[in-house]
Amino acid sequence: MLLFRSEEWIDKWCQRNNLERGEVLTINQVWELSKPWYYNRLSLDYHGRSMEQVAEVFKQAGLVSKFWYIQR
Amino acid sequence: MINDSLLWQVRHFVYNHFADTTLPPSVDEAARHFNISTEEASALYKELHNRHAFFLEPDMPSIRMAWPFSAIPTDFKVHANDKTYYANCAWDMLGIPVVLHADAVIEARFTESNELVQLEIKNGNIALAAVPGGEDAALSKLRVHFPLPFARWYDDLVFT
Repeated sequence: MLLFRSEEWIDKWCQRNNLERGEVLTINQVWELSKPWYYNRLSLDYHGRSMEQVAEVFKQAGLVSKFWYIQR
Repeated sequence: MINDSLLWQVRHFVYNHFADTTLPPSVDEAARHFNISTEEASALYKELHNRHAFFLEPDMPSIRMAWPFSAIPTDFKVHANDKTYYANCAWDMLGIPVVLHADAVIEARFTESNELVQLEIKNGNIALAAVPGGEDAALSKLRVHFPLPFARWYDDLVFT
């Protein structure tokens, strides 16, 4: 996941690298997503997340589009 | 046969070693810490890699990523607890202060425009500390691009 100065620079980067645009979040959205995603990573009890738990974290962050679907 | 209790103790050791030293433990360090053979420690590292607990370099039991920490320098540098860490990506640079439960100053490079930006995490809030030559720069304009849908993140972790 890369950091851009603004939306316009993402378009330039995608065009120059011939890549499709993925999902774009504001820095504040990513900050809020980081909190439930990472808060307990140093705990002995953290053994990863089930797909259901991942889906719940995304849902709580308002990420409900197909991009965030957990099924492969 | 993998000892599940030991497996998660190794994961815990790796992450806390990263937090304490900014670097992952080698497989030899893990073997010494748990008083097991290098072969056993290597097998546990591989199992944790297979379970996506961390990510090994190709063909060797050396840790490249233990999210949000990176074992190699990147464009996402995080200063916290009087140490300097490297994050794997723009999401992980925000994950490091969360993992450490600490304030942080983040130095990152914008992709494409190639400018350095400094962000500050303080008391659970994020602020733009410095961006060169940018009258139009604002925290609200910054964006993080997720190139692949979640279902494909583990296909190519370096690209993701």
